[in-house]
Amino acid sequence: MSWREALRLSDVAFTELSLQAVFAFRQGNVLPAGTPKSLVARSRRRVLQSKAVISAVVGLLTLGAAAILHQKALNPEILSAVPVGLFQSAILTGLFSLDIALLWWTGVQVVPTLISSGVLTVLEPLPIDRRTLERVSTILYLRLFDFPALTILILTPLGVGLALGPLAGLAALPGALVAVVYALALSLLTGRFFLRRVQGSRGGGGRALLRWAYLVLWLVPAFAMFAFITAAPAFFRVLAELALQGPSVGSGLLAAAFPFSFAALPAIAAGGTSSLAILSPSVDLVLGGAAAFYLALAVWSIVWLAGSVRTLLFLPAQTPVALPAALSTLRPTGLARAVLLKDLRIASRTPGYAFLILLPILDAGALGLLTYATPAQNPVAASLALGAVTTAALLATFFGPAFFAIEVVAYSYGRSLPLSNRSVVFGKVALICLMYLVAAALIVGFTLLRFFQPFTFVAFVLAELPAVLAAAFVELGLLFRWARRRGLAITNLYAGAWFAVLVSVPGLILAGVPPLLFDLTQRLGTELGLGVMALVAVAELALATPVALGRGAS
Amino acid sequence: MVAVSPETTSLPLALEGLSVAYGERPAVQQLTLTVRPGEIYGLLGSNGAGKTSTIKAIVGLVRPVAGEIRVFGLDALRDSLAAKARIGYVPETSMLYEALTPREFLEFVASVRRMDPTAATRRMQSYAEAFRLEAELEEPIATLSNGTRQKVLIVAALLHAPPLLVLDEPLNSLDPRSVRIMKDVLLRYVASGGRGVLFSTHTMEVAEQLCGRVGILDHGVLRGEGTLAALRERVAAGDVSLEEIFLRLTEEDVGVRAAVDSLGDPSV
Repeated sequence: MSWREALRLSDVAFTELSLQAVFAFRQGNVLPAGTPKSLVARSRRRVLQSKAVISAVVGLLTLGAAAILHQKALNPEILSAVPVGLFQSAILTGLFSLDIALLWWTGVQVVPTLISSGVLTVLEPLPIDRRTLERVSTILYLRLFDFPALTILILTPLGVGLALGPLAGLAALPGALVAVVYALALSLLTGRFFLRRVQGSRGGGGRALLRWAYLVLWLVPAFAMFAFITAAPAFFRVLAELALQGPSVGSGLLAAAFPFSFAALPAIAAGGTSSLAILSPSVDLVLGGAAAFYLALAVWSIVWLAGSVRTLLFLPAQTPVALPAALSTLRPTGLARAVLLKDLRIASRTPGYAFLILLPILDAGALGLLTYATPAQNPVAASLALGAVTTAALLATFFGPAFFAIEVVAYSYGRSLPLSNRSVVFGKVALICLMYLVAAALIVGFTLLRFFQPFTFVAFVLAELPAVLAAAFVELGLLFRWARRRGLAITNLYAGAWFAVLVSVPGLILAGVPPLLFDLTQRLGTELGLGVMALVAVAELALATPVALGRGAS
Repeated sequence: MVAVSPETTSLPLALEGLSVAYGERPAVQQLTLTVRPGEIYGLLGSNGAGKTSTIKAIVGLVRPVAGEIRVFGLDALRDSLAAKARIGYVPETSMLYEALTPREFLEFVASVRRMDPTAATRRMQSYAEAFRLEAELEEPIATLSNGTRQKVLIVAALLHAPPLLVLDEPLNSLDPRSVRIMKDVLLRYVASGGRGVLFSTHTMEVAEQLCGRVGILDHGVLRGEGTLAALRERVAAGDVSLEEIFLRLTEEDVGVRAAVDSLGDPSV
């Protein structure tokens, strides 16, 4: 069969995937009222809106990077210790890394949905040849990423071209292309890995620890976008030192590293090899060799993707190994704790949810390390630590509401249990608080190692806690009201996640106001600042609780 | 309206004028039935007859547009949590938390049912042994076969020894051994007194073997209800099977013959 036939079949499969992702009827969600045509149109529109949001983020990043490149080109004295070409390469290194991270993150969100939907399983027994099925699978997989990937491929050369000239723009294209291919390959690789080693992991405390360890390891690259921004000043310091040294082993290693090998190409096209100040004929050779190697790897990845997407989509369910019957016991807990435990167990086998829990915690770890690395006599060190706690609170309240989506899984069964919405809300709020407290404990731990002011830091964390609770109550209360009214499942990024993001706005305000007030009042005394902060946070909690527990919400 | 009397409070289930609709499309219309203590009531119907919609309304998954549902006298629409606490439910399709293992899932169910750890463990172990589930208790549900998932759902429904079981095609995907165990479990379950089972199926043989009374749903309307003998009397038939009674009551007996005739020789 032809590509045209594959395209037609993939369109049918994508419609089914959109419907399942948006309405989650396979999980037992009742379809909202409407004709099949209108429901299909609505699901396609929602998927399109979500893709547009991700594309906009990617586009803004690209244009922001282009603006920085343009500024540096106009004012070379910005960060004067770093030569123009090296600076441009560094910015593009960051951009390509973020492109990969964002696309990969998208993949992590939507690939499990694609796998669990089984949309292609219905095609497998039909008389369709293997090659057509592979084409259908590949097209379907590419369509998950189409708009964001096209935004990267079009805007990167365009933005770089506008900033540094058309030749530089053209030289940015291989880097953008390789970044997209790697992100797609990583999404598939991690999808397969987690299906086998994390989602398929047996129960038990030891294995749960191992799963979380896997998830942390896996998150480190995805965490790169935050780490990169956090580590940017140190990165530029290293670059300045390398520039001072001139061509060296260090610059050779940098030239061989991905994505620097591609990020350097537009800078060379714009200003020649001398603009980087770290290149020499031998380093040039390393740079060229590395770029060729990464390009070859990208070509191989494309071939691998074309052949592997189908096997992933039809990955057979693992047959459990018949082990000797173990004496399993049940340890029932309280209702909210049961919800919390269930969410943590699900997250330990579901990368998308694990990401949401681990990101604020890992971010807190990175910020805590940064605080630890800041000299104690530096006046901003203490503010940095308190800012880090605030960030932990904001991230926990931003990502926490996404756990509402777990309630959509096994929706029909869960709703048949005598479990009130109030208990579910308490369980989710407990999870958000846990995320905040673990993250805050990490920061405080690092900070106390540096400057011992336990009262201030512990009091700050505790004063912020009611605000985090208030934010969590408001967010979940609004989500429950909305879900009850719309009957819509929030299952993933492409399924109306915009509302989960929207409810974060009041949540972020509630979590952000007390630290802001502390910042304003602490000049009159730290104790006064902490008192004001705690008072406002408690008032917020008193006002927010009825939103979550009042009629219509719970 | 179902009056709440000592009689109704002992009735495991009473539906009065229940109507369910999806948008403009009615799924169940004015359904009235009761499940008596010690009874297995079979809800029969073709695909799309309204069996699952009726059951979803009883367990609180779908809000009826009209009518009342009482579980041991409790208004299931107003006091839904108390009603749900008295129900054990097996859904038609095995929709579970795929990322949990059966043990983790059952622990969650036992927590929500506020069960004592010793009783929960004892009941889980005995049912897991009966259904040969022990080896799969620590495997993620996502990796289990449909039949094993169905067994997990059955154990979850029986875990807290509920006074009312609401089972939507519970024998689907089960192996013959498990089907036999399930049938015996149900018969013993209602024999212990006071309990009731609402059992939906489109397998007539199973209904004949298990159910004291059956109700025949067709396009959301109850076409007939009673014991097998009463239904035979109603269709004025001799010793005919439940399948024949079903087809006559739903007026599909002529249609079936015509459909088969129109197919001609299947080998051609």
